[in-house]
Amino acid sequence: MTGTAAPAALAAHATLAASAPGAISAPPIEYSQLGPMLVVFGAAIVGVLVEAFAPRPARRGTQLALSLGGLAAAFVWTVVIAASRQVFANGSPGHTAIGGAVGVDRPTLFIQGTIVVLAFISVLLIGDTRFSPFVAQAAAPPGATAEQEGLAAGAMHTEIFPLTLFAVGGMMLFPAANDLLTMFVALEVLSLPLYLLCGLARRRRLLSHEAAMKYFLLGAFSSAFFLFGIAMLYGFSGSVSLAAIASTAASNTSNSTLLFAGIALTGLGLLFKIGAVPFHSWKPDVYQGAPTPVTALMASCTVVSAFGALLRVFYVAFGNLTWDWRPALWVIAVLTMVVGAVIAITQTDVKRLLAYSSIAHAGFVLTGVLAVSTAGLSSALFYLVAYGFTTVGAFAVITLVRDPGGEADHLSRWAGLGRRSPVVAGIFAFFLLAFAGIPLTSGFTGKFAVFQAAIASGETALVIVGVLSSAIAAFFYVRVIVLMFFSDPVPDGPEVVLPNVFSGTAVGVGAAVTLLLGIAPQPVLSLASHAANQLFVG
Amino acid sequence: MSPVHYVALSVILFMIGGVGVLVRRNAIVVFMCVELMLNACNLAFVAFARVHDNLDGQVIAFFVMVVAAAEVVVGLAILMAIYRARRSASVDDASLLKY
Amino acid sequence: MRLYLPIFILALLGFGFASFSVFMGTRLGPKRWNRAKLESYESGIEPTPHPPGGGRIPVKYYVTAMLFIVFDIEIIFLYPWAVTFNKLGAFGLVEMVTFVITVLVAYAYVWRRGGLEWD
Repeated sequence: MTGTAAPAALAAHATLAASAPGAISAPPIEYSQLGPMLVVFGAAIVGVLVEAFAPRPARRGTQLALSLGGLAAAFVWTVVIAASRQVFANGSPGHTAIGGAVGVDRPTLFIQGTIVVLAFISVLLIGDTRFSPFVAQAAAPPGATAEQEGLAAGAMHTEIFPLTLFAVGGMMLFPAANDLLTMFVALEVLSLPLYLLCGLARRRRLLSHEAAMKYFLLGAFSSAFFLFGIAMLYGFSGSVSLAAIASTAASNTSNSTLLFAGIALTGLGLLFKIGAVPFHSWKPDVYQGAPTPVTALMASCTVVSAFGALLRVFYVAFGNLTWDWRPALWVIAVLTMVVGAVIAITQTDVKRLLAYSSIAHAGFVLTGVLAVSTAGLSSALFYLVAYGFTTVGAFAVITLVRDPGGEADHLSRWAGLGRRSPVVAGIFAFFLLAFAGIPLTSGFTGKFAVFQAAIASGETALVIVGVLSSAIAAFFYVRVIVLMFFSDPVPDGPEVVLPNVFSGTAVGVGAAVTLLLGIAPQPVLSLASHAANQLFVG
Repeated sequence: MSPVHYVALSVILFMIGGVGVLVRRNAIVVFMCVELMLNACNLAFVAFARVHDNLDGQVIAFFVMVVAAAEVVVGLAILMAIYRARRSASVDDASLLKY
Repeated sequence: MRLYLPIFILALLGFGFASFSVFMGTRLGPKRWNRAKLESYESGIEPTPHPPGGGRIPVKYYVTAMLFIVFDIEIIFLYPWAVTFNKLGAFGLVEMVTFVITVLVAYAYVWRRGGLEWD
């Protein structure tokens, strides 16, 4: 509901930005270039209307069709823009729409396309209602009569679909935002629906509430830091546009306190969203407590989007200050890789395990970011695609392994799964091997690309740490595989349900892309390097 | 009073809010501290708008207010759900998720 | 300073008149107490019964307050728009109508799903 204001608020921002004393001219609004985001936000708003006026039985189908249709249309539109000769005429790196508020360039379009596809798969998981992971009556306390009645009637909060679309729209805007105000609004538009979605799990509701509260309080805390960083940068340069900050930083060296405080605080806000150590503590709790389809959405789309924004801010606004922020980010990347890999070893919950693995992977992508080159950017983009699809597939498998009371999250329940259900266990093992970066999976290609880019930029020490922590990480992935295939099955172990068309598609697409990017990565690699060729538009 | 004083005040308010988030135990108070931090940002924006003599900072303050209001609503909704389930709004009671 | 002198004089007069009236009222007015006069004032409606022991306030108030805040704050964008309405012309009007429509969509949701009903 709160997100409804976002697209119009942006338009209002453009209106206000032009309202300085003197001449007021309407800023150009390139609707055709903003199409993908407008479609997603529009579908979300229509979704709210469906909630308001459609009869209850018709809601779920309508919402599902609307969400999937909106995301598919957004993807097609993104491809059309990327192929457009008008935007990229005469070798132009791209265009900034709405008077410089939103950047339309190749890396952004690549990121947006990735987000939309991953969101599409996540929505498939969300729409799988056979064992709906979402609460029937969010307002009813756990165990109350109202909740029991809702469960019995098969009720479901179909508001989940518009909320997801608002979050996805925010995720698409976040890496595209070319000024920090738009970026802050996008950050909130993507975060606020996610806070709510985290708290909507049907089973283990206290856990889910707790995840929502932790995510909310820490997220609000970190976005306050992000905002204060924006204030510092505004104080430094008198503008929140990334390009203006970059040009002031190049010419003005007097007020560097404000500049460095700004870099540190905005960086903190962005690193929190990607879950880099030491700003990672929310990630395991939230991933474990949230409903699994929402975890899939967060683990794939949010990470991709936040990395897009991080790349844009650090490459465009702070691109001339590489020597100032690189050492700090270097330390964070090392910490992220090592801490993520080491703590994952002690985990006993499969969702928590994947959360720590996601932290370690954030460190690997940071290695690509630290290369500060077109090769670094393109390898980071490729890594995000590879990791996103593998993650969505892995979480889709988790929704299939069930106990009577819900998903079988505890690793001990997974013992001997390979004997009871070799196909599902085999696919999950394949995803784990991809996380570990074994050859013939997308994970290997991705790791190879980021490490290569980092070495080319002289970050050999970082790569050594990366390879070592990959080895540590491989240990716990292989441990899970051994547990699944070489342990005795637990008596009355979890049931593996057959995937239906929704979860089947999610698992299938995840596995197919993981395999394809492992054995024939060239098309996507060249697409990523084509996208990264001219960096972001300033 | 030069605008620098206002910026200093905003830093102080921001720090009070930040410390409050870290030491207070009631989720609603923690949340109020976050709001204090956002409003400290607003003060900084408006002061800097004065320094640079442009309106951007004031416009940003408007956006921050709207975002803060939306955040309040989402936050209170989550806290209400928790309170109904547990009869407590202490952040220390929320400790099911560990390691 | 001279610019503000009339304001100070007006403030002084206002304060003096108010204190004079209150003082004279307590001296000269008749005193007939009844229950309604002693109750706290809540915009003319029956005051909400206060729970014993300073207990809880119904959660309905929070829901209403939350809805109020989120819709009320949207006004903030209308003020600068209204000030520059003439200069912005048709563009500003179209953008603001789009904005208000999106707010109305949220309002329609709240209305249809019973968020505005008190009981």
